[in-house]
Amino acid sequence: MQNNSLRKKEFMGKWLKGLQKYNSSSKDMNFLERKKAIKITSDIAMASTRKAGTFWSQALLANASNDDSNKTILEHMLGTNSKIVERASTTLLGLANNNSKKIRSKKILKKSCMAKRVKRIDSHVGLACCVIAKKLMKKRTQVLKNLVPGGKYLKKDSLIRETLDYIASLRVQVDVMRSLAYATEHLHCQQSLVVKPQ
Amino acid sequence: MERENMFMNETNNFLLPYSMAMQNEQHGTSQQLQDCFLNPIWDNSVDQNDAFESALSSMVSSPVTSNANASGDNIVLKELIGRLGSINNSCEVSPHSYMNGKNSTNNSCYSTPLNSPPKLNLAMMDHQIRGNLGSLPFPRSHLNVHASLGPMETEPGFAERAARYSCFGNNGLNDINGHQRMNVEETKDVLSLQEEKSSLSDQNPGGKYVMNGKNDGNLRKRKSVPKGKGKNVPLTTSSEEANAAAEKNELSAKRSKTDDNENGKDGELKGDKNGSENGNNKENKSDQKPSEPLKDYIHVRARRGQATDAHSLAERVRREKISQRMKFLQDLVPGCNKVTGKAVMLDEIINYVQSLQRQVEFLSMKLATINPQMDVDIEALLSSKDMLQARGSLPSGPYSSDNLVSAFPFHFQCQQVPNEAEMPLLPRLMDATTGRSQSMEVPFGHYNEAATQASSVWGDDLQSVVFGQNETHNFESLITTEAQMKAEQ
Repeated sequence: MQNNSLRKKEFMGKWLKGLQKYNSSSKDMNFLERKKAIKITSDIAMASTRKAGTFWSQALLANASNDDSNKTILEHMLGTNSKIVERASTTLLGLANNNSKKIRSKKILKKSCMAKRVKRIDSHVGLACCVIAKKLMKKRTQVLKNLVPGGKYLKKDSLIRETLDYIASLRVQVDVMRSLAYATEHLHCQQSLVVKPQ
Repeated sequence: MERENMFMNETNNFLLPYSMAMQNEQHGTSQQLQDCFLNPIWDNSVDQNDAFESALSSMVSSPVTSNANASGDNIVLKELIGRLGSINNSCEVSPHSYMNGKNSTNNSCYSTPLNSPPKLNLAMMDHQIRGNLGSLPFPRSHLNVHASLGPMETEPGFAERAARYSCFGNNGLNDINGHQRMNVEETKDVLSLQEEKSSLSDQNPGGKYVMNGKNDGNLRKRKSVPKGKGKNVPLTTSSEEANAAAEKNELSAKRSKTDDNENGKDGELKGDKNGSENGNNKENKSDQKPSEPLKDYIHVRARRGQATDAHSLAERVRREKISQRMKFLQDLVPGCNKVTGKAVMLDEIINYVQSLQRQVEFLSMKLATINPQMDVDIEALLSSKDMLQARGSLPSGPYSSDNLVSAFPFHFQCQQVPNEAEMPLLPRLMDATTGRSQSMEVPFGHYNEAATQASSVWGDDLQSVVFGQNETHNFESLITTEAQMKAEQ
């Protein structure tokens, strides 16, 4: 719990820093832009609180750095740690290159094995449920891989580890954001309360 | 010349059981005491381990090491395995060193055909070997080696490990099947001889040296006839009896041979030392080899009926890791406690992650609407009492692990009821509910207005809030319960 609150504080500090930067850089924004900015800053803050030690944070940073408009914010937020982003993006690229080949070859393999598999299922009824269960798992892991940033390039055991970490920091993010939203809202409320009697 | 001497020594050592049998009659128990080998209770596993270990260490380092190691079974096992590996490896490297009981006896069988006793037995070999193979690995309480090997056999991982190391030792030897068999025969003879004696006097210095050959024999047997263990269990007693019978016939002939070989006994100690030095040197080199696979095999133990090759072991480790992490996830994700089955659990996890991500989206959207001009007066916010209050409520956490993920709005209920800050609760609640139910279509100012309205009225009168707000009528019951709670307080 102590650790969690510490993380929250760190995240909060970084996020607010990023928001201020965003604010100073561009004045007029419509609603969607604002939303996007808030989201990206919070994401970056979340990733940077993890010190880029985990894969998902690296992937997040790399994705953020792909967009040119975000680069200034990234540099500002991470400050001295800007090297991390480069490293992250390079590792991500390398992994992507590696895995694209694998995936392709896997697909080919699957196609070639399809006919055999169907036959096998027919012959062994007992195996069928096993195969179905495996399929279910595979589908779900695929979905999870899409959900976790950078999950496409992970194996299953590391994917679960990353998911654990990601969930923990998502919770921190949500908590902080909610509290901030609540606070600002309450501020508005108070203002309106003050305004109303007048 | 030296080499031949070595051969002689080796054959001596190997034939020692026969001479030993005679020695036993002469020396009696005094030698046992000298060698710290006195183990009256052979069923005691620790004693057996000690005996075996000391025997091994005497083979490896020096002939007169004590068996004072009172270490635990595991340590003994590890050392033992390491030594077995090193011994077998050194077998590969230097076929002429003393350590290579088996290997060198093979050579000696070539060079000194006179000394190969089991040729007599070759006719009935095949059948009996099978039987013996079954009998050998099993704990025979009155046999030194087998008694000490007994507890190892019961260890599930040991068999595979031993088999593995026997592979090390056996490389390139499989072609000399005939000699293997002869050696098997020899060890069998030793076995039956000692059984005939069936006394505690099996342990004299010779006994230790014999063990080397025996060990290798065991390993090799496991390699060459892996099924023997399981198959021939019922056969053991009968085959051993047959052996004993056959042994008696051969005994006289062998005795003459061993008499011949006793001449080389004087050189035995020297050879032993040389061999041990060699072995030590080799050990340093060869220790690196077995240490790599050892890491995996000590931690992972195949249960009965499980595959034991490296791939399936690794796969099993991987699966265990995954399931362990899944358990962590189960603790982390609320509503996952009661779920069994990985697929359902993964579903829950996916739902949870998705909901969290959606919340982030939603919150960022909300923040964007609240602060139209982006310049959040953060300092004011941070310093404000509300912020602190909000922070104070954080550690209690909206996800107290029992809350359902899907029932998102009800988080607030569960979480907020015990909280002291009830005054700002309603707008927050409404925000959450309206934001979710009306999502994007509603102009965002709307619920802001509603919220402000609600909070403004909230301070004055509860009832008016409950019935006056149109937005909240879905959650009327919720709010009324809260109102009741407040009234109670």
